[in-house]
Amino acid sequence: MINQFRYQDDLIETEINSGPGGIEVTVGDEQFRIQEILPGKYEAFHNGVKRTVCCVIKGAQAFVDIDGILLDLVIPSDDGGFTSGAGGHSGEKDKIYAPMPGKIVKLLVKEGDKVEQKQPMVIVEAMKMENQVNSPSAGVVKKINFKDGEQVGTEVAIIELEIEF
Amino acid sequence: MSHRLFKKILVANRGEIAVRVMNACKILDIPALAVYSTADKDAVHVHTANEAVEIGPPSPRESYLNIDRIIDVAVGNNCDAIHPGYGFLSENPLFPEACHKAGITFIGPPSDAMKLLGNKIQSRIKMSTAGVPIIPGMKTAGVDIEMFEKAAESAGYPILIKAAAGGGGKGMRVVQSKEELQSSVEAAMREAKNAFNDDTVYLEKYIENPRHIEFQVIADNHGNAIHLFERECSVQRRHQKIIEETPSTALTPALRAQMGSAAVRVATIAGYRNAGTVEFLLDKNGSFYFLEMNTRIQVEHPVTEMTTGADLVIEQIRIAANEKISDYLIKASQRGHAIECRIYAEDAENNFLPSSGEILYYEEPVGPGIRVDSGITKGSVIGVDYDPILAKLIVHAPTRDLAISKMICALKDYKILGIKTSRRFLIDALNHPEFKAGKTYTNFIEKNMADRALDIEPALELAAAVSSVAMMKKPQASGASSVKSKGISPWQTIGSWEIGMRIPK
Repeated sequence: MINQFRYQDDLIETEINSGPGGIEVTVGDEQFRIQEILPGKYEAFHNGVKRTVCCVIKGAQAFVDIDGILLDLVIPSDDGGFTSGAGGHSGEKDKIYAPMPGKIVKLLVKEGDKVEQKQPMVIVEAMKMENQVNSPSAGVVKKINFKDGEQVGTEVAIIELEIEF
Repeated sequence: MSHRLFKKILVANRGEIAVRVMNACKILDIPALAVYSTADKDAVHVHTANEAVEIGPPSPRESYLNIDRIIDVAVGNNCDAIHPGYGFLSENPLFPEACHKAGITFIGPPSDAMKLLGNKIQSRIKMSTAGVPIIPGMKTAGVDIEMFEKAAESAGYPILIKAAAGGGGKGMRVVQSKEELQSSVEAAMREAKNAFNDDTVYLEKYIENPRHIEFQVIADNHGNAIHLFERECSVQRRHQKIIEETPSTALTPALRAQMGSAAVRVATIAGYRNAGTVEFLLDKNGSFYFLEMNTRIQVEHPVTEMTTGADLVIEQIRIAANEKISDYLIKASQRGHAIECRIYAEDAENNFLPSSGEILYYEEPVGPGIRVDSGITKGSVIGVDYDPILAKLIVHAPTRDLAISKMICALKDYKILGIKTSRRFLIDALNHPEFKAGKTYTNFIEKNMADRALDIEPALELAAAVSSVAMMKKPQASGASSVKSKGISPWQTIGSWEIGMRIPK
């Protein structure tokens, strides 16, 4: 059985086989022998070393913990495409989104402004902390969809850019 | 227990500290009543309490900060004491006053001491007059930008803007130059207004790369006041403490005694009662300055408990019930080394943005000298309404080296899935040679961790391997399917097996 996962720009393919000591998974040139020891908790043997790994599947995401390293793998959907991770808009370089639902404290640019990459664009308050959101690209501010003080979610872009090439 | 100290205690807080206080109540055989907002109806603290009462919508102003509502609940449910925890109403002098009027004991200091110490400007002046060293800066609140500009020039940049009602880094801003001053003052005022409902800010000289060292003090209603040694809280991000430890590597026995007696003096001058914490900055030359006194139980109180054997929350309740400071505390000494790591719901790999979601997997580390103070469990939903602190992990070991090592193991064993937490970042900080060498200054994180890059490559293949096994259990239910899933499941081809047995080769 072959599975594919995406992590950011990486695509990882795994192949599951049954082996003499349990389930064996091949990833690239590496072999892992894996057994579930508790619901969501696994022991993985690799080159004679045992690691404990926790993993839970929810929706199109596999949440994995390896010694405190958290990896959210994206699982391909039926049509072969990928759904983006929770709140993730990482691919869109011409839009600025709130990192999480919150309130717009202050817009730092206005429509028509020329902006640099990494320039602070907006301050969003969430969990009582002010978070500064920087521009993903250089460009010109095309459209601002919110005003200071408004509540904002993660679905609608706060600011849209005209990117310079 | 011969008699109950109180009939019933209302815990006016949420999260891990509410659970911590309720556990102390349980030990003292005092029923605990939880209050909760609609966002917290299934929270751990609600289930930990003997009784629970809803007090309003998620917005803190309409629930956890609503004094009238909380007092009504206490009176209506026969509570004769209220524990405020930290944050929320814990340092609002109106709260002990309201308790007093309603005939309820407030488990904390009197409101007068709170008023004095809660105003960072007034307390600076008072302590300075009494001979406690303070940082140079404004002695009155800032009224207009000209006043800030003038004070900043006389103290010399960089300067630090602080909220008069402040704490926990809210409303604090370091300003490097005149150009940044106005926007920083405005931002600090907004944060202060939101966090404390008071936008008064002031400015003082920014002491570069100091250590942040605080002393736990306890005073009773019978004129006794003691300190329970220091906590080193220098490792901070955006003025939020993330790792605390005791003893501090920076203190000699002589300096410890000197700072400890200054801390007791601060408490005495302020007319303080109950448990409190006196914060100092310690500069490179070993000079210390009074920063502020926190008039509540601190987030990091467990490291003191681990090394002195104290139970500070039980002591708070005893003292509020008019008992004297416990004998065992008067004789307390520091034993071994303790470290606390704060587990925040935030993404250290993505600029520490707050993380929200449901806890899908939860497992705490266990072992001798490992303690978890937690407000979450599997199924908890982490929202955006409250502070992102989820839990605290505390370890105790004979030496600092062993404590660091134990903490790293415990962080690896602390499994939280579904949201982002700062565990790996903490492991990397603890593993840093400068941390291991005890060179913990307030710039530790920006100096040593700014260029940190997490190498996930070695973990990625393992993660994918385990995920593919996890998916076998419910490939259809999850809405995802494997590319070639029509084959036979490995469970069907695995051969004979028995639970708890290895299959012979």
